[in-house]
Amino acid sequence: MPTFKLDGREISFEPGETVIQAAWRVGIEIPHYCWHPGLSVAANCRMCLVHITSGRQMAMPQLERDEETGEYVPSTKPKLQPACQLAAEENMEVSSTSDVVKEAQASVQEFLLLNHPVDCPICDQAGECKLQDYYYSHQATLKRKLTEPVHKPKGVRFGPTIVYDAERCIMCTRCIRVCDEVAHDHVLDMRERGNKAEIILAPGRELDHKYTLMTEHVCPVGALTSSDFRFKARVWFLKSAPSVCTGCATGCNSHADYDPRYGKVYRLRPRDNPDVNKFWMCDDGMMTYTRHETDRLLMPTAGRGDEREPVLDDEALWLAAEQLRKVEASKLAVVLSAQHTTEDNVALVKLAQALGAGHLYLAALGGWEGDDILRSDDNNPNRAGAIQAAGGTQLKTVAELLTEVQAGVVQGVLALGWATAERLEELAPLVALETVVSLTSHVGALPAVASVAIPVADIYEIEGCFVNDKGMAQAFKPVLPAPVGVEPGWKAIAALASQLGHDLGFQDLQALRQGLTTDVEAAQ
Amino acid sequence: MPATVKVIKKPRRTIAEQAYVPEVAKGIGFAMGRFFKNTFGPTAKKEIDTVKYPEEKRDYPERFRGIHRLTQRTDGSPRCVACLCCSTACPAQCIYIEAAEYEPDDPRYGYERYPAVFMIDELRCIFCGYCVEACPCDAIRMDTGMHMPPSTSREHFLYDKETLLSIPGKDGTYLTANPRHEPGDPSHPGIDREQGH
Repeated sequence: MPTFKLDGREISFEPGETVIQAAWRVGIEIPHYCWHPGLSVAANCRMCLVHITSGRQMAMPQLERDEETGEYVPSTKPKLQPACQLAAEENMEVSSTSDVVKEAQASVQEFLLLNHPVDCPICDQAGECKLQDYYYSHQATLKRKLTEPVHKPKGVRFGPTIVYDAERCIMCTRCIRVCDEVAHDHVLDMRERGNKAEIILAPGRELDHKYTLMTEHVCPVGALTSSDFRFKARVWFLKSAPSVCTGCATGCNSHADYDPRYGKVYRLRPRDNPDVNKFWMCDDGMMTYTRHETDRLLMPTAGRGDEREPVLDDEALWLAAEQLRKVEASKLAVVLSAQHTTEDNVALVKLAQALGAGHLYLAALGGWEGDDILRSDDNNPNRAGAIQAAGGTQLKTVAELLTEVQAGVVQGVLALGWATAERLEELAPLVALETVVSLTSHVGALPAVASVAIPVADIYEIEGCFVNDKGMAQAFKPVLPAPVGVEPGWKAIAALASQLGHDLGFQDLQALRQGLTTDVEAAQ
Repeated sequence: MPATVKVIKKPRRTIAEQAYVPEVAKGIGFAMGRFFKNTFGPTAKKEIDTVKYPEEKRDYPERFRGIHRLTQRTDGSPRCVACLCCSTACPAQCIYIEAAEYEPDDPRYGYERYPAVFMIDELRCIFCGYCVEACPCDAIRMDTGMHMPPSTSREHFLYDKETLLSIPGKDGTYLTANPRHEPGDPSHPGIDREQGH
C-alpha cells in the first residue's frame, strides 16, 4: 500500500482515498465539520485545512503588518488545502498541526462562532458538540465581535421527528447529504447566502422519510434536534453501551445511551459497522428503545381473564410445571420466539427435547415495510437465530399452531416471548387449553391468553446474540440491570426444567452457544 | 558547632499562691463579679458573647448561604431555563429537574425552555453554593438569609418549583440584581431577519 506522511507519521492509503479518510481509518482525527465518512465530500466548512509541505509550494499574497514600522508590507503565506478533498499521494507530506494550520483552524472556528447564539445551556447538543470541542482545542480566544448576532428562525418544526434552529446551524450541509445519499429523498436544501443562509424543506414537504433521525445524528452542532430526545436529558449524564437494534432482521449495531441514575435508556445511536448498517439506522429502529419500558411484565401471573392474578416466583414455576406435566409429550407445542436471543431459543429447544415435545413453532411479528437501504421486510431481529436453534429445520407458524389446537393435535403450549403477528382475538383457541405457559418480557397477545406467564429479562438487560438476515451472529452485552427477581430467558427455562425434574446441561451462555453454525465469539 | 543551651528558670509560686485559699477566693470573686455584672448590671457593660437564640438573632454575613430560591422574570415566570447546570455541579445530587418547552406562540419559544419540575431536597443539600455558581441565568440564589424551617416530615424538605419561586431574597424581591435582555422584552433586539438585516 502506498503511504504518505501526516505530521511525520506514515499513513498507508488506498489509491483514491482522501487525506482525512486515510487518517480517520487509522484513528487520527483532522478537525472537521462537514466531512462524514459515510457521505460525499462538500468541503464547505474549511475546518480541515492542512498544509502540504512536500513538493512545489503554492503561496498566497497577503499584507503583513510590520510590528516595528506599523506599516503593512506585501508578503506571502502558504496556500492550505481541505484534507477532505485532498487525494492522498505517494510520499506526500502533510501537516495538520503547524502554526499556519493552527491559525487557519482558529480563524475558521472564530468565523463559525461569529453569529452563534452560544445558548449551550439550553442546547441538547451541549456536551457532544463539535463547536464546543473545537473551541477548546483549536480556538480558546475571547469573542471579538461584540455587536448583536444575526437572528434567524428558531424551533422550526421540520417534521414529526426533527426541530431545526437556524441560529446554531453552521451550514455544513450534512443533513442535506444524508437525505440525498442515504434516504434518497431530496427533501432538504439550503437557501440564501453568508450569514443569512438556512436549511429549508422542499416546498409542500415535511421531513418525513424513514431516516429523518439520521439528519440529527450527523448534525455536528445543535441545529437539528430530535423531538423525541429534545430536552429529555443532558448528554453528560448518559453512559453508552453497545447494543443491537431489535427493529428488524438487518440487526443494525447501535449504542444504547442510558442514565445509570434512573436505569433508563434515553436514545439509540448508530454504531459503525461497515458490514451491516455502515453508519446509519432507520427511524423505527432508533425508536425501538421505547419498547424497553412500556408494557413490561414484572410479576408472574396465573389464571385467565378476570381471575388472572400475580403469584410468587416459585409458585408460578410450580404451577407451570404442574400444568405441563398434565400434557402428553406428543401433544405439547413449544413456541420459539424470533424476538428473543439465540441462546434463549436454544435453551427452549433443549427443554422441548427433554420433555419429548414433538411440535416446534416460531412466533414472530408479521413484517413491516422494508426498503433496499437498511430496513428488512422481516421486523424480527432473530428469525434466523431461532431457526438455527431448532437445528435449521423450518418451523411452523403460530397460525398453524392455532389450526392444530382446534384439530386437537396440540393440547398444551409452552411459548417464549410476547411477539406474534396474530391479534388477541385470533388467539382465542389457546384460551380453551388448560396449559399455556408463557415466558415473556412484555405483556402482549401471547401472554394475554396464557394460563401462567413468567417474566423474563428484556433485550437491554441480557447478554446474548441475534442472527441477522445475512446469517451474521451479533453478540451484545447488557445495558441495564434486570428488574429484581426477573431472570434472563435461558435461566428461567433452566429453572422451569429443574422444576420438571430435567437437567438441561448448561450453566452459562458458552454452553448454549456450542453447536451453533455461526461463530458467536467472533462477533464479539 | 555545639548547641547553645538557654536555661529558663521554672517559675516559682509565691507564698500567697502556695497558700491556696486566697487564690481560690480571688477566682470565685472574679466569677461572681462577672455573674452579677452580666445578670443584673446595665446592658452596655455586659461582657457576654452568647445570644438568647431564637429571641435574639445575630446578623449573618453578607454572603451567608440560606435556603434556595428561584428568581423570577418581571412577568413572574421562572428565569430558570432548565439547563441542568446546577444539578450537574451539585455534589450532593439533591436537585431534580425536568425540562419543558414553551408553546410555539410564546415569544420565548426556541430561545428558552423552562423547568416543568424543579425539586431540591434541602435535607440532602450541603449548602455549598455550587448551584448558584453554576447557574448561567442567575435563576437560583441562596440569598434568602433563611434557615430551613424545621419539620417532622421528610417530604416537607422536598422544595418544589412553586415553593422555591415563592421565597423572596433578603431584599424582599423575587427578581435578580442582574437583569438581561429577554426575548419578548421591549429591550430585546428580537428577530431582525424579516426587517432585512
